[in-house]
Amino acid sequence: MNDFELNTTISNLKNLRETDLSSFDGVYLGNIYCRLFEQNFLERLDDLKEGIQRVKDAGLLAYVTTYAAPRNSFLPKLRKVLEVASSANADAVEAHNLGVLRIAHEEFPGLPIHVGGFANVYTDSGAAVLEEHGARRITPNYELSLEEIDELAHGANLPTEILVHGKMPLGISDYCFLLDYEEKWGVNCPTLCQLPLFVKRDTWAMRSVGKGIMSGKDVCMLEHLPRLVASGHRTFRIEAAYETPAYRKEVGGVYREAIAAALSKGLYSVADRWWATVREHAPVGLCNGFYFGKTGMEYLGAESGMLTPFTLHATAVE
Amino acid sequence: MAVRRVTLLAPAGSLKAAHAAFAEGADAIYVGLRGWSRGGQKGELSRDEMKDVLEIARGSGRGVWLAANIIPKPEERKRLMGHLRALVALGLEGVIVNDAGSLRDVSEAFPQLLVSASVGCGALNEGDVLFYEALGARAVVLPGYLDPSEVAAIKAKTSIQVELMVHMVQQFVQLGKCFMPSYFRLRPSRTEDVGVRLTGSVKRGGVGVCFSICQEPWDLYWGERKMDRRLFPAQQVSRHGDLGDFLDAGVDIVKLQGRSLPPEMLAPLVRRYRAAIDAWEDGLDRPVDSEPAPLPPMWTAVGR
Repeated sequence: MNDFELNTTISNLKNLRETDLSSFDGVYLGNIYCRLFEQNFLERLDDLKEGIQRVKDAGLLAYVTTYAAPRNSFLPKLRKVLEVASSANADAVEAHNLGVLRIAHEEFPGLPIHVGGFANVYTDSGAAVLEEHGARRITPNYELSLEEIDELAHGANLPTEILVHGKMPLGISDYCFLLDYEEKWGVNCPTLCQLPLFVKRDTWAMRSVGKGIMSGKDVCMLEHLPRLVASGHRTFRIEAAYETPAYRKEVGGVYREAIAAALSKGLYSVADRWWATVREHAPVGLCNGFYFGKTGMEYLGAESGMLTPFTLHATAVE
Repeated sequence: MAVRRVTLLAPAGSLKAAHAAFAEGADAIYVGLRGWSRGGQKGELSRDEMKDVLEIARGSGRGVWLAANIIPKPEERKRLMGHLRALVALGLEGVIVNDAGSLRDVSEAFPQLLVSASVGCGALNEGDVLFYEALGARAVVLPGYLDPSEVAAIKAKTSIQVELMVHMVQQFVQLGKCFMPSYFRLRPSRTEDVGVRLTGSVKRGGVGVCFSICQEPWDLYWGERKMDRRLFPAQQVSRHGDLGDFLDAGVDIVKLQGRSLPPEMLAPLVRRYRAAIDAWEDGLDRPVDSEPAPLPPMWTAVGR
């Protein structure tokens, strides 16, 4: 049995089939932002069943995530998603929305529930309430520092999941402004949000995924894994809902090795090849999110000087 | 305060605004206590001003609610509870909170208060409302961009009050689900009576709050190629024209956004909604000055 869990996110069956999962212990299936995401597991129940089976056949934990901001009209489909998760023996569902948490807890009592980062768990009292409503694991709000997360974890007595790498979710919308460009660019939904689209100002950048907005930089906690394991964290996520199979395989491989090293008794240092890999997959650069109580896009650590922000060199304005 | 079937709840960011709101027919106002509300110092009242507002309300049979809609850190909870205790003794009627933990803590400690789950709690569906009801909420705020049919479906499932923010700015990112400002700038600030606040965090601001980065122009890049310069979409939501449909759907509390509004802007807004509620209560379809204004088709639940 592993002494830690490394998991990731995959939005559809095509991506799941193409991804080498050997570095991971678990997979969250589904796209939380948009019902129109290409072949979203949450809209294709047969795909979801196959996805759960495929993950389990690989000996991994199969989790099913759910929409972060569902309107009433989403609920019938979400109930079917929960039914599939339950009947296919998914290991847990992830709820970012407290209405979904309630439905899962009341209508599918055997299904463990993980609470996602959009559920706004900021304090131990918030976590305690959710625990009473069936939560078995919490992703604290992304804005919390490690110190606050530790306080929350100890106060609520619930396991926490930590985003250790990837683009950090920053917002969710009812509006997909990328649709404005379908005609102009000749690219249609659902391909649009899978393009490498960034909104930028000066040295600031965010990844636009249509109805979601994410950090432009990749959160990277490679240097700080010993701090995380020393605080007792054992469940780690590489956020990759909009990333490629190569990203998952290579970044996942780095973290598998790095977390094992951080948990071992020996000296921990970040290998050059790890840096090379994570840099290669982070065109806008790396950051630490809010883990050190700083502005989310800052990076703190020995490597900070080497992590330059992107440079603006637009080739054309259309 | 006498219970009305429909309550008009107006914002007040100053004593003058409170006077204006009451004068124009608000049944209740919501105010922020300095350092303890989302929205920043500009629209908050000092403790002395809070006392004055509560006295005015008592004298006119109206209500005052406290927008305690930041998420207090564990070490701040006690102080917030102390403030609430003092304000309840002075006649505070309701409190608006921003997360599940605070909601349960406050509703258990003050069963006499009308505890409302803020729009920042992100309630959008019947499951959300039932969740907050189970925690002790007596009202849940829904955003004004929902349809009357959605409100009716929610209302049919719940026994608590539905509070609809009929006049609001809908920013690109949903209220309560936005961490953009702090991604770019997070500035710890010390505030009177509260301690350190993280300015830039929408949920925990207290001073200056969000830096409104979504309202600045951004360049849209496809890889390294600049494709456009644009603003994030945003719109002013005003459901005055279809207020009757919402009231038919069961809305109990008509809420207006805008603690930063000056009295001269707040007064006509309150007057307009007062007239619309009165018209509905008198059995009229809608006031004669108004037409329904459906939301643009892009702003829909599925994105197109």
